[in-house]
Order: sequence, then C-alpha cells, then structure tokens
Amino acid sequence: MPELRKDPTIGRWVIISTERARRPGVFFDYTETAVDSQNDCPFCAGREPQTPAEIHALRQPSGPANTSGWQVRVVPSIKPFLRIEGDINRRGHGLYDVMQGVGAHEVVVETPQHIANMADLDTHQIELVLQTYALRINDLEKDPRFKYVLICKNYGVLSGGGRIRHSRSQLIATPVTPVRVKEELTVAKRYFDFHDRCVYCDMIRQETTTKSRVVLEDSHFLAITPFASRFPFEIWILPKKHSCDFVKENGQNYSFLAVILKRVLQKIKTGLNDPAYNFIFHSAPFRRNANGTQWKTITEDYHWHIEIIPRLTRVAGFEKGTGFYICSIPPEYTADYLRGVVI
Amino acid sequence: MGELRRDPVVGRWVIVETEHPDRPENLTQEPHVFKQEGTCQFCYGREAQTPPEIEASRLQGTGANAPGWKVRVIPNKFPALTIEGQLEKRGVGIYDLSNGIGAHEVVIETPEHRKGMADLSDEEVLEVIRKYKSRTLALSQDRRLKYVLIFKNYGESAGASLEHGHSQIIALPMVPKYVLEELEGAKHYFDYRGRCVFCDLLSQELLEKTRIVVENKNFLAFCPFAPRFPFETWIVPKEHNAFFGDISDEQQYHLASILKETLRRCKLVLSDPAYNFFVHHAPIAYEHKERFHWHIEIIPKLTSIAGFEWGTGFYVVSTDPDLTAKYLRETK
Repeated sequence: MPELRKDPTIGRWVIISTERARRPGVFFDYTETAVDSQNDCPFCAGREPQTPAEIHALRQPSGPANTSGWQVRVVPSIKPFLRIEGDINRRGHGLYDVMQGVGAHEVVVETPQHIANMADLDTHQIELVLQTYALRINDLEKDPRFKYVLICKNYGVLSGGGRIRHSRSQLIATPVTPVRVKEELTVAKRYFDFHDRCVYCDMIRQETTTKSRVVLEDSHFLAITPFASRFPFEIWILPKKHSCDFVKENGQNYSFLAVILKRVLQKIKTGLNDPAYNFIFHSAPFRRNANGTQWKTITEDYHWHIEIIPRLTRVAGFEKGTGFYICSIPPEYTADYLRGVVI
Repeated sequence: MGELRRDPVVGRWVIVETEHPDRPENLTQEPHVFKQEGTCQFCYGREAQTPPEIEASRLQGTGANAPGWKVRVIPNKFPALTIEGQLEKRGVGIYDLSNGIGAHEVVIETPEHRKGMADLSDEEVLEVIRKYKSRTLALSQDRRLKYVLIFKNYGESAGASLEHGHSQIIALPMVPKYVLEELEGAKHYFDYRGRCVFCDLLSQELLEKTRIVVENKNFLAFCPFAPRFPFETWIVPKEHNAFFGDISDEQQYHLASILKETLRRCKLVLSDPAYNFFVHHAPIAYEHKERFHWHIEIIPKLTSIAGFEWGTGFYVVSTDPDLTAKYLRETK
C-alpha cells in the first residue's frame, strides 16, 4: 500500500510507493559513461593558465597566483549563470518583471590531482574545501548586491556535472533570496512561532530515537534518509548542535563534517555503483539587517544542513507537473541498506 | 549570461540566456530507439495482457479487451496510488502521513507501437483528448479526490518506461504543490488587479506576437517569457475557463489540432526530443472559477536539472523564448 508523507521542513507531500519498486530495471541502470582524459583536464595542477584567473587559492607554502603548488583553487566559471559586473537594473515589460543577471558564479577545484569523486579525497582535503567555501562566502557577503550564496556540487553527467571528471563544486551568489530557500525559511519560522522550537532540532531528536532512518551518526552530525524522501537514497546531513549558518560554524566542526561527508559519499559510491549525484548546502541567507524583517528569529528557527541526491531515477511528467514526488523505495529500507554498506 | 525574468503567475525568477542563446543543434538528446515491440502489452492484439480496460473508443461490434479499438484507458499495472479504501490521515511525532488513496490510469493513444502523438492525425489526437475529458469528469465525482492530473512522458529520458505512445491520469487526494502555487499567484493577481493573470498574459502575447508558436480559433501556443526549460511551450485556451473538464466539442477539436501541430514542430526542430506535457487546471470543485485558467505546459527534455536548480528553485535557461518560438513557428 503506497503512503503519502509530508516533509515537515517544507510542507511538500511525497508518495512512498513500495509497489512500484517491483518494476523491472528501475535502479542502478544509469551507470556513468563519461570518459575523459587526464591529459587535457584544465583543472589539474600545471594547467592553471587554461582556466580564468583564480579568485583565491590555498597555497602552502605560498607561491605566485595561477601556478601550481595549490591545494584548493577557486576560479570564475567559464559559463557563468550570473555576472559580477553591472547594476541590477530592475524594470517592467508589460506584465513581466526583468532584472540584469548580476551575481557571482565560482568553481571550487577541490584537488590538484585528477580525482573525479569527492568520496575519494582524503578527509583533510575535504576539510580544506569546506574551509574554502566559508572563506569565499564571507568575502561575497561584503558585496551588498548579494542576498544568498548557494554551495552545490554536480558529480557525473546525469547530475549536470559536465564531462570533465575532476572533483569540483560551485558557489553561486544571487541578487534575490531564492524561492526554494524562502519556502524553507517560511516553514521553519511558522513551526518556531507555534512551538518555540526548531523543526530540524525536533526532527533530529525523533530520528535519533527511532533510528530506522539513520545512516550514520557521530558526536557532531547525523546523516539520515528523510521521512518524506523525494528520491531513492536521498540523504540529509544535519549538525546536532543548532546553528542556522554553515559559514559561522567553528573550524573544529569542519573537521567533523569532513569525516561524515566523506563516509556518506563513500557509502553512495560503494553501495550504489558510483552513481551521479548532487549535493546542496541549505544555509541561512545573509542577515545584514535581519532584525527589522520577517526573518528576525532566523538564528533560532533555521538549521543549516546538506542534501545529497544520487541520480538514480528520472524526473518525469508527474513530478514536473505537480511538485509531488514518487519515491519507489521507502527511506527506512535505503537507510538500512546504506548502514550495511562496508566502506 | 543574461537576464533575470519573473514568471507573473507564481513569481518564480529564472535566468534566461539572451546574449548567446543555444541553438537547437546545441541541445543534445538521446536518439529514440524501439526495443519493446516484441513484448509490448499496449500493442494491438495483446489487450488481454493489460488490466481490464476502464473505457475505450471502439469500432461498433467489438468487445472490451479485444482488438477493434482506437484509444484505450486502463488502470496502471504498477499504480502510484490505489483506488480502494478510505483516506486515513495520521501523525507520527513531527511527521504527517496518510495512506495512498487515488487513481492511476493509462491512456493508450494508438494501437500502433511506433507512432508518437506528433505522428497521429488530428482525429486520432481528438479521440485521446475526449478520453482525457471523460476520465477527468468521471474521477471528479469521487469525493475523496481533490485533483486530476493529466500528463505524458515521451522518451526514456523524460521518464517513459514504456515506449508505446501513452499518457497518464493520476487523481490525488490533495492539491499538488505546483498547482497550489499557481492558484495562489493567480489569486494574488486577481485581488490586486481584478483580472485573470492568464487572460492578461494572452493579451500581451497576442500583442507582442514574438513568442507565439501557433494560434487557432480557440487556442494560443507560445513560449513563455520566463521559461524553466529550453523550448518550453504553453497552450492556453483563449476563452477563460478554470476547468479542463468543461472543454467544449469545438475546443476539443481545436486543442487536438494545436497540440499535434506544436508537438510536430518540436519534433522537427529538435530531432524528435523526449518531452513531458501536463495539464494544469483548477482542483475539483474549486470555487473561484474567475481566478484560474487551465492550460497545458510542454517541456522538451533537453537538459538535466543540476544542483543550482535543486537548491534554489531558480532555473537557468540557455535559450531565448523569442528565438525558440521563432524556430518552432518557422519550421516547415
């Protein structure tokens, strides 16, 4: 019997359909086919002139920009969604509203070596990447035109990750708070107004008690397959200690986060045959004048987290037409499966 | 690199590439291959292999679940929701859930395995639209249900697991999120301006003409100003109506013609792309008919949704709708 479940953090209903899991060939049949050559990868050490000039690089010992000797490197995207120069120029066109595509679109090259999957970086390297995210976002916050910075990763062709198999992630600063982020903030605030508690903290308490959806847990973080998963093997990583902003975490937490993130990505790689995946950081927008706005309780009501989506199924007309997702394996099953994957 | 544009219905911002837009040939797609002909249960002569039909357009004198049909409606063999039982909502700690009550039907559009909707005649498409209407009206009678979604997946990358031409109807016990957002946006516009936002959209598109793909007596097909996907196309009835189920005989005829024409143009310009389409209309028994306006959204599957779209709800579109409309309009 299929079940309808509601995600308490965004109010989205999903259909958890145990019947449809029986359909032949639904899983594990989209293996990655991209092949590329290490010999012409522009992100490898030694080919720095092939990318746009770097915005930032972690170099120890220090050395000149755009040469090798770096550990993590940040460059502008060669195909930016949004451009750093210019005014927003808000205007109307009859019924329609328009503004210029002002923003920032940066690529974080996570390793000088030609390694495709973040799961294969060592924990210390992942920690350096997480520190780089925080450093760049702190810098982008200084530009008053930007309201939000998204951290995301597209691994594999099916995830929109392109054909060059060199591990990297993206930072995108937007001039408006994105609708998806606003929805989450609105629901979290509504829950807080009603209960005086953070919905994510309540979720963490319930998940650590019931345990059936826990993939990994340590002293600082929890990895779960969410109750109302949209996709098979969808995973969220949440800090146990309440905090609305990934960037404001202290450095020690990045070392714990690096450990759990690597372990989750390794379990996905090993257990699901190295599938394409996306991850997305959900963190509070910049709070330059939050006190006077509807978001004045944001530090108490919102809780940053990471969402990881292995790309195992296709999004079809039903999902596109309704925003209702059909997930063909219950999250209790996928959590159990992932707990059993030996890494 | 380009412009941020806001959809006037739901208020969603999209990033539209207006400076260096992709041409149709830049957008890759998987070739359409047929692998299931030998075993396809939707093919003529294999009627007994599907669940018993709910209704069908048949030649006189032919019996149910036998040859002699033009369009067949059957229950989905692997339904996402089941029709038996009462809706029982409950809570578990902070979570809300309910059992999965609803209907999941399949409309087999043609007896011929290799014919897509773009290859059918207007009369054949009309027969499919008649089934959409009759099933929508029938399912709207069920008091447990709130919304009837009609949609189609064409091609493996658009989520079609069976290659024989078919569409699907799912009736749901709650109004889906995207429809709620459209209803909310349309209400907001109506409260502010006292007019239907879709009617205003039609007026502006008919005035500007640059985004029109096809127009006929009752319908307009155009590429929306703030699309989410390259070559996204909407078909909107010119006459205001909230419910698809109210479609008149004349409108059904003109809808068949414009839907087929639009799909045929997509097929020509984009070399037979995978696509989805869905009908958005008001929920069952929706009271504010003046605010909402039913329409069809057609989305060729040419790109993958990546982390940025998932994380922000912001879509990045590599084409300019003025140009996609031109390509579609001018193809022979």
